[in-house]
Amino acid sequence: MNAWNRRRPVAALAGVLLLGALAACGGNTSGSTGSANAVSGGSGTAPLVVYSSQGYDSAVTKAFTKATGIPVSLDDDSTGPLLAKVAAERNNPQWGLLWVDGDTAFAELDKQGQLLDYNPNVTLTKAGQTLVPANHSYVPVSTTAVPALVYNAAKVSAVPTGWQDLLGAAYKGKVGMNDPSQSGPTFPLIAGLMNQLGGESGGVKAGESYLSQLKANGLQVHPTNGDTLHALETGQIDYGLIQSSAAAGEVATAKKGPNYQPRVAYLGTTTLLPGVIGIDKGAPAKVQAEAEKFVQYVLSAAGQHVMQAADPTGDSLYWPIVPGVDPVAAIGPMPTSYQRIDPYFWGPLESQVNTFFDNSVK
Amino acid sequence: MALPMSIPLAARVRARAATGWARNAPFALFWLLVAAILLLPILLFLLVAFSPRLFDQGPAWFSPAGFQGAFQGPMLQGIADTLLVGAVAAAVSAVVGFAVAWVVQRTRVPGRRLWTGSMFALLLVPSYLIALGWERLLEPQGVLDLLHVPDSVARGLLFGPVGVIGVLTVKGIPFAYLAISAGLRGLGEEFEAAVRVHGGGRAAVAKTVLALIAPAIWSSLAIVFAESISDFGVASTLANDAHFPVATFELYNAVDNFPVQFPVAAAVGWVLLAMAGLALLAQHAALRGRSYRVLGGRTRPARRRELSRPAVAGVLGAMTLLLLGCLGVPTFGAVSASLMSGLGTLEGGADFSLDNYRRALTSPALYQPLLYSALLALITATVTVLLGLVVARMLTARRGRSSARMLDLLLLTAVALPGIVFAAGYIFTYNLPLTDDLGIHLYETTTLLVLGYIATALPPAARVLFGSVGQVQESLREAARVHGSTGAGSWLRVMLPLLARPLLSAWSLTFGATLLELPVSQLLYPPNDPTVSVGIEKALSNYDYGGGTAMEVLAVLAALAVIGVVWGIFQLAAPAGWRRLGRTS
Repeated sequence: MNAWNRRRPVAALAGVLLLGALAACGGNTSGSTGSANAVSGGSGTAPLVVYSSQGYDSAVTKAFTKATGIPVSLDDDSTGPLLAKVAAERNNPQWGLLWVDGDTAFAELDKQGQLLDYNPNVTLTKAGQTLVPANHSYVPVSTTAVPALVYNAAKVSAVPTGWQDLLGAAYKGKVGMNDPSQSGPTFPLIAGLMNQLGGESGGVKAGESYLSQLKANGLQVHPTNGDTLHALETGQIDYGLIQSSAAAGEVATAKKGPNYQPRVAYLGTTTLLPGVIGIDKGAPAKVQAEAEKFVQYVLSAAGQHVMQAADPTGDSLYWPIVPGVDPVAAIGPMPTSYQRIDPYFWGPLESQVNTFFDNSVK
Repeated sequence: MALPMSIPLAARVRARAATGWARNAPFALFWLLVAAILLLPILLFLLVAFSPRLFDQGPAWFSPAGFQGAFQGPMLQGIADTLLVGAVAAAVSAVVGFAVAWVVQRTRVPGRRLWTGSMFALLLVPSYLIALGWERLLEPQGVLDLLHVPDSVARGLLFGPVGVIGVLTVKGIPFAYLAISAGLRGLGEEFEAAVRVHGGGRAAVAKTVLALIAPAIWSSLAIVFAESISDFGVASTLANDAHFPVATFELYNAVDNFPVQFPVAAAVGWVLLAMAGLALLAQHAALRGRSYRVLGGRTRPARRRELSRPAVAGVLGAMTLLLLGCLGVPTFGAVSASLMSGLGTLEGGADFSLDNYRRALTSPALYQPLLYSALLALITATVTVLLGLVVARMLTARRGRSSARMLDLLLLTAVALPGIVFAAGYIFTYNLPLTDDLGIHLYETTTLLVLGYIATALPPAARVLFGSVGQVQESLREAARVHGSTGAGSWLRVMLPLLARPLLSAWSLTFGATLLELPVSQLLYPPNDPTVSVGIEKALSNYDYGGGTAMEVLAVLAALAVIGVVWGIFQLAAPAGWRRLGRTS
């Protein structure tokens, strides 16, 4: 008997056990579907696959199913991994509806022909109307802002009112922000800064110059909102430039005392960062119809109520863009001076800007 | 099999063909599985580096742009840092792992079971937990700051290359220990005695021993190097906080942020692959043409040495220090963070309470992922060990060298590729329109997640088994067959007793690693069924440090409990001979 034959029984055993184990667990997917957009037999109802990074998505999808009878398969994750999944699935999308903060990714998906144009014909607030793309390739359903300046009032009294203030000696070594290549809201923050400093024609150059000066004044870069807030809590910085919902959440939940009193301010004109829903253009018509119903539900008073109640110290801290719906008390009123950046212009610049940030600021 | 001549020729030919097919079917099935879980996902993902359009990741059918992106800026720096980190961590881990293995296997130093158990415990703790534990201690307003202990020098060291290499070395030590102790265990004492009889001194003995366990040492170097360069836990925590770019995290950034750059990530994957290839080449060059079969029917266990009192004190002190640094600090960091609500804030003093544990044990969002992951880890560990045994047998067999080399290369490739890249490869492979058309719907199922786990666990499990399996002489089993034992019987009576302990070690390693695995889970977990690592990550990213660390502690305890029960059953139920074999008396 040669060596090959001697190994055969073990190989067979291993193979059989592997198949058996996989068969045993293969069916146990509890809620997931093999082919997400396949219509399930019998009822004629297709499960709507929702990719979402919103903290309230689980509550909203359950409420939607209860209200409409449409089953939803939710894939809740951070924005980055979800967008990575969407990119990897580009030739065979499994999602029916994508719901994350920021519209630059949606502009890119639209350019790739992946989004279904849809106009829900819902009246929006003035701020909400500025966020709607001309071709209705995606639907804004809420908004936050970048940056909100969160600072420790127990340690510092100076409060900047504009970007230029942060270049002064009073702020040297005390300011922190997120890394745009790791934090989803930070590229829109930088794009907003650039747009404000030089518009679409000279904004990139002016913004790079400003960030270099900020770096020279001791800017500290941390990976994400949570890390920048941690740096603020531990006294490594006194001012943090982050997303408004994270700043409001910190004020609402942080342990306060004589050494730590978080407050929020805005640097003149701030940039709107919408919560956005997009629908897969390649999904079956039935799934697309369900996704449209989902959008309608989210923009309804009932949907907004669920969004505001489900994550009261996190993502629920947004400003509604549906008239008649007040924001959660902890977020406070929306800044009066705001801008909207064009995602179709700024989105394609993300790699270039992030590379500059990596090489010159981080 | 001989066929009766009364059967017509055509029927005999058909029967022979069928018999031949039946003989080859198991191996065809084995290679089919290997192709499905290792070869295809890796291959398809790596192809994206050259041909973005193949998977709609760009307009060009052939483009070097991915490699251009990989060899500039922070990505290039990350690659250089990774090479340094992998080489130093592998070398230091091998030295420390050898020392620990020698102390445990060859001396009568007290607490040997504790040291062995600690190595396993260290194996179970994910690298990000160790890194976070040290960070909690040394970060600004961390534990040492609150205790007014000057720590600026230590902080400077931790948040830099020294800290990153240190933590990866700590994670590498148990791998090195397992590989080298398996070699030492099977070595016996007769070779050392032979050197002594021929007038050799301690140096000559050491040289001989090192030469004889060279496969285990090279195995240790290769696996720690590959594990270090593909680590994601330290890369995403300590290295990231320290602004010390390493290739895995730069690669992760390329696939985790918008715009997603799969071609660049795949190009970095090629670079990591090349690094692992260098390790494999070095291993082969060192071992080529030599035989290391030292375990046979006449092998006698080595005696344990009595050390002098000062030597015992020195060894105990060193082992205690090592374990404090490796396990004590991270454990303290995790447990303190899970018990306190205010650690690391300007408000200083922390409130101790069990609230976080109460939440973790009563909230379905926190405990259900733990149960789910435990089940998946159980399945993964069992299947992986069986496959690992097959792989180790193939790698150590004298025949079929070309297939063994191919398998070895494939396994090292899998070790070198970060889990997040593996997961992306799985998405590519199992979400192709072709697989959909074939009726294979594995995407976003528990099955695919388990396949991903097996694929990432198989290389280290096979490496752990490699040393022991390679030492078992085939003559033992052939002798059993000559004396009338069946094929299966000879396996059960001869091979299994010899390999029971290494198999159980590999099972424990796989179970622990799978329970807390992060990157593959992150991309492949089925919707609505998060694994425990995804649950922890979600809790930490929502700034719930208390709940997240409580889950971490509970998950590690659960892993230790399951492994403890399994070893306990082995001690109670396994025949005495099984328990004695592979141990020195």
